[in-house]
Amino acid sequence: MGPGLAFRQGLRRAARAPSIVAGTFVLTLLVALPLTIALRGMIAAHFGASRAAEAALSGADYSWWQEFLAQATGLGTTFVPSIVGFGAVLLNLSNLLDNVPLATTVAGAVAAWLVIWSFLSGGIIDRFARDRPTRSAGFFGACGAHFPALVRLGLLALLVYGAVFRWLQPSILTTLYGRLTLNETVEQGAFLVRVLLYVIFGIVLLAVNMIFDYARIRIVVEDRRSAIGSTLAAVRFVRRNAGAVWRLYVLNAGLFVVVALVYAVTVRGSSPAGLAAWLILAAGEVYILARHYLKLAFYASETALFQGRLAHAGYTAAPPVVWPDSPAVESIANAAPEPRR
Amino acid sequence: MKAIRGLYLPWCRIRRVPGRLAVIVCVPFLLQPALARAQSQAAPSSGRPLSPRNASYTIDARLDHSRHTLTGNEVITWRNPASRTATSLQFHLYYNAWRDERSTFMRERRLTNPQDATDRRPDDWASIDITSLKVLGNAAADMTARLRYIAPDDGNRDDKTVVEVPLDSPVPAGSTIRIQIEWTAHVPRTFARTGVIGNYYFIAQWFPKIGVLQDTGWNCHQFHAATEFFSDFGVYDVRLTVPIGWVVGATGVEKDVTDVEGGYRTHHYYQEDVHDFAWTTSPDYVERHAKFEHPTLPPVDMRLLLQPEHVEQEERHFAATRAALRYYGEWYGPYPYGHITVVDPAWQSGAGGMEYPTLFTAGTRWLAPTGVTQPEGVTVHEAGHQFWYGIVATNEFEDAWMDEGLNTFSTARVIEQEFEPNYYSQRYFGGFIPWVFRGLPLTREVDGDRLAGYRGAARQDVQATPTFRYWPATAGSITYNKTALWLHTLERHLGWPVLQRVMSTYFQRFAFKHPVPQDFFNVANEISARDLTWYFDQVYRGSQTFDYGVDLFRSDATDQRYHTTVVARRYGDGIFPMVVRVTLTNGEQINWNWDGRDRWKMFEIDREVGAKTAEVDPDRVLLLDVNRTNNSASLQPQGPKAATRWSLAWLVWLQDQLLTYGFFV
Repeated sequence: MGPGLAFRQGLRRAARAPSIVAGTFVLTLLVALPLTIALRGMIAAHFGASRAAEAALSGADYSWWQEFLAQATGLGTTFVPSIVGFGAVLLNLSNLLDNVPLATTVAGAVAAWLVIWSFLSGGIIDRFARDRPTRSAGFFGACGAHFPALVRLGLLALLVYGAVFRWLQPSILTTLYGRLTLNETVEQGAFLVRVLLYVIFGIVLLAVNMIFDYARIRIVVEDRRSAIGSTLAAVRFVRRNAGAVWRLYVLNAGLFVVVALVYAVTVRGSSPAGLAAWLILAAGEVYILARHYLKLAFYASETALFQGRLAHAGYTAAPPVVWPDSPAVESIANAAPEPRR
Repeated sequence: MKAIRGLYLPWCRIRRVPGRLAVIVCVPFLLQPALARAQSQAAPSSGRPLSPRNASYTIDARLDHSRHTLTGNEVITWRNPASRTATSLQFHLYYNAWRDERSTFMRERRLTNPQDATDRRPDDWASIDITSLKVLGNAAADMTARLRYIAPDDGNRDDKTVVEVPLDSPVPAGSTIRIQIEWTAHVPRTFARTGVIGNYYFIAQWFPKIGVLQDTGWNCHQFHAATEFFSDFGVYDVRLTVPIGWVVGATGVEKDVTDVEGGYRTHHYYQEDVHDFAWTTSPDYVERHAKFEHPTLPPVDMRLLLQPEHVEQEERHFAATRAALRYYGEWYGPYPYGHITVVDPAWQSGAGGMEYPTLFTAGTRWLAPTGVTQPEGVTVHEAGHQFWYGIVATNEFEDAWMDEGLNTFSTARVIEQEFEPNYYSQRYFGGFIPWVFRGLPLTREVDGDRLAGYRGAARQDVQATPTFRYWPATAGSITYNKTALWLHTLERHLGWPVLQRVMSTYFQRFAFKHPVPQDFFNVANEISARDLTWYFDQVYRGSQTFDYGVDLFRSDATDQRYHTTVVARRYGDGIFPMVVRVTLTNGEQINWNWDGRDRWKMFEIDREVGAKTAEVDPDRVLLLDVNRTNNSASLQPQGPKAATRWSLAWLVWLQDQLLTYGFFV
């Protein structure tokens, strides 16, 4: 299977699992809501009965915003003007690439979301690998079955990503960038250096990312238990299928860029009043929904590529296809010359 | 190196360089000595002097790019402007502020940034050393051996930014002497907007500079981290020798250029009635010219030295300079020099946003979207300093607010007139990629006058404290922001026509002088015909903060009438007259005037209709109010709805952040 077909398969498999798209969207919303409610309380308390609220409703009131930030502590300090509209996307991506530490007040939510997503990813990949509805029992059964291995894989990933962001990122984008541009007097030159270093760092980061992606897929699809074993297997897979894996990654990343640009154009320059303000917020949620779909389609396309590229029959037994048997088992069964009874 | 010293050359020939001035090509490397020229400089060349010309300089300096050194020879023609006899001379040696980490400048910088300059290499530091000092006369006395460093501000024995020499022959009041100084300097990697990076030089505060003798003695401060400069007016006749092909921009106008041996070229600049001289050189500058013309103001030739990557921003620089010359000229008085040089500094040079007589550095970025006032903001500000600093030459060591504050206020006014709307913006990905938030317009009162910066520093220092004694971390807020805000408040309190007359009178009365704060206050009282001492006592002589608010607001129905009660409260310690306004449900407005003195005051009315809103200072006269939100109250509060709207905007950000971190799983 080529990366183009895997990409299309991914889009299709994700589209055929709307409950997973909706479920993960709701999950993200539920994780974010408690903090949002807390922030709303802070903002409401600061407004009190003030007429400043009227100005804030009829557009962005920078004067009030500065005043709010001057007294804000904790969670309130994250409510900065650059979270508005597409600025939020740029801020988050830029902070990730530039290794800006996560605000401690939202770190708990992020950690919780990552753990829950790790739990769900077993069921999600299982669903996409089977490419058929697995129902709640099947979905959550797969989640539970693979969670221990995925936790171990998560700990391994934490170590590797920790090294990447603690050591490699500063080495490349702070130390090396500083050295290369020490006497640079042309901003364009420095920008090119920065872009080049982003690319170098990005290649390493994406390579690590895709290895852990395929390790996750191998855990689920091949019912592996060893995080290290599945990671090594993923390394082998990525190495043997480097061209297809990278092309697929680029296709998925390109689609994300397109969606982000559409969102940027949609909400550009907007801090409107009245109904338009609520429509812009709705556009934000549509964007978030689209990102969930893209993330799931990414999972699905990688799973499809893996399944299309690796023949399991040669080295995997063929037990009865009854959950919690692995999707590989089911694939083999489907590929068998005679239907199983 | 004494390479710039020499003799007149009778065998120089003149040739034309396309698009440039006549070039005098000289075969041997010999130049007219500074001394000979200083003797012929006594008479002004352009009519009646604008300034007292107490300290005039004739300087020859040569730049050695490979070593980052300057070798100079200067003759100072100094007239004792004080009523006392001078028994010694004091000179600034600013470059020694960056000689090592023990200088007062560096010690003060480390108060707020302990890691500052710790990564500097030996060649990144600076120095300036006087190799010869003579008082010229019948028997020129070499006084080099008698030089001693002094630290009049803090007694720091390691600080070498002020040097004193006792005089054998005291200089009586009104008398003139000539001092010849030879010196060498090492140009640092930029500190305080002077230095070198690559082949870009911005050279300021670079030569031994005499202090200002006042009736109370020498005013010659050490170089401090949070302050700038102070010096007397004079005539500057400067020859700068740099590699051939390098563009030079400097205070004044270029009179001629002379090729000298070794691949160097001497650029001769001249300027009368200024109190400093700065210059820049680089082979990379792109030079552009334009003219400022106005029906009632004198024309000004504008020269722009741009970085090649900013050539498409040429007109933005000229437009901002034009706006400054126009509005400052109309509001305060004309720019008298006829020429101005705008320098667009190289990236990472750290030289941007600084003013020098007839020349200033702006500052922009390669990606500079419209709707954001970069480069306009800094260009207007630094061009504006030609008026507040260049012409009205206040003591920046002691009263920096008098130029920076007045100029910040004026800049915000020009931006409001000429460059609105402008918007909040942020830069991402290493600070390279800008994004403009066109839904977040910036207004003069909160952005240009910098309320946020003031709010956080309001109590840090009393403005009347000498600026060099301000806490370094917040000196800028007290100097720039607070002044601009109290001037803007005064504008709203008195009306712009009155304040404009105050400022124009002050400008014209103190042009080419060194006014002190009381001079400004006296003019304000005189022109406004009010005693504003109560105000200046608070904003200048005190560190009071202002915060008025609505403490209680009720409108109760009783017998088909409504009894409305408003309690206005003074939360801060500053006092300012207030208007308290209640708006009824039928749109009627009731205003009360309150002197703002008591801690609280109750206002009551009875009407057939109830009240809707109450406001203290509804027209936002008091821009120094650090908490505006509590200034109003509504009986149909919209806070919960607004909080929902904005917290939902934040929700999208948080969801996006979760998904961004979702990259890892």
